[in-house]
Amino acid sequence: MAENDFEVPRENMGGEEGFGDKAPRRFQRRRPRQVIPDYVDWRDVDYLRQFIPERGKIMPRRISGISAKDQRRIATAIKRARSMALLPFVWE
Amino acid sequence: MKLANRTYEVMYIVDPETAADKIVELNETIGKLIEKEGGTIVRMDDIGMRTMAYPIKKRKDGYYVLYEVDGTGQEIMELERRMRVNDAIIRFVTVRVDEDRKKALKMAAKREKRQSQRLKFRKTTEETAEPAVELQDA
Repeated sequence: MAENDFEVPRENMGGEEGFGDKAPRRFQRRRPRQVIPDYVDWRDVDYLRQFIPERGKIMPRRISGISAKDQRRIATAIKRARSMALLPFVWE
Repeated sequence: MKLANRTYEVMYIVDPETAADKIVELNETIGKLIEKEGGTIVRMDDIGMRTMAYPIKKRKDGYYVLYEVDGTGQEIMELERRMRVNDAIIRFVTVRVDEDRKKALKMAAKREKRQSQRLKFRKTTEETAEPAVELQDA
């Protein structure tokens, strides 16, 4: 399921203007904005999991739909958790 | 040099093959070291055995311990030096948390303030809006 979420917007990234007679493409609408807690705990693995699709990568901002500031905080927390083997770098 | 008061989270993984009493002993010595170097232990969390997300030093599990320390940073320096030497500790990390927590408090306060002001504004608009609707009906 997470894999599908990951793929869908990428197909629609081809620009706003369509090619030739195709109708202009629209960007996939982002997910509704989530409320990120003021303090993102790097040890709270279950919370951070929601920003990690199946492969183990950090979900890009265009898909997670959170603000740049929140994305930075989430990314730092994930990286910290990874260094302590709480989260994997890659999932096979 | 000004010694600022800081809060750190120190987490380390102990090799799961060390004996249980050795782990307890190790935790005690680390606690003592922190206090000796001038830090205060806010919280000590013995998380225990946990499967690691990837193997470290060919171990699949690890014994996790977390310390929350108030201090100046001097004791962290000493602690990290000791941990680096210790063979039983396979991984450790120190995170300074006081600044992020302060920021979080600030953000919460800001949001509260904004919300209260919004409420004030809403009240006034409702008061003014209601008679306007009546006029339109008439």
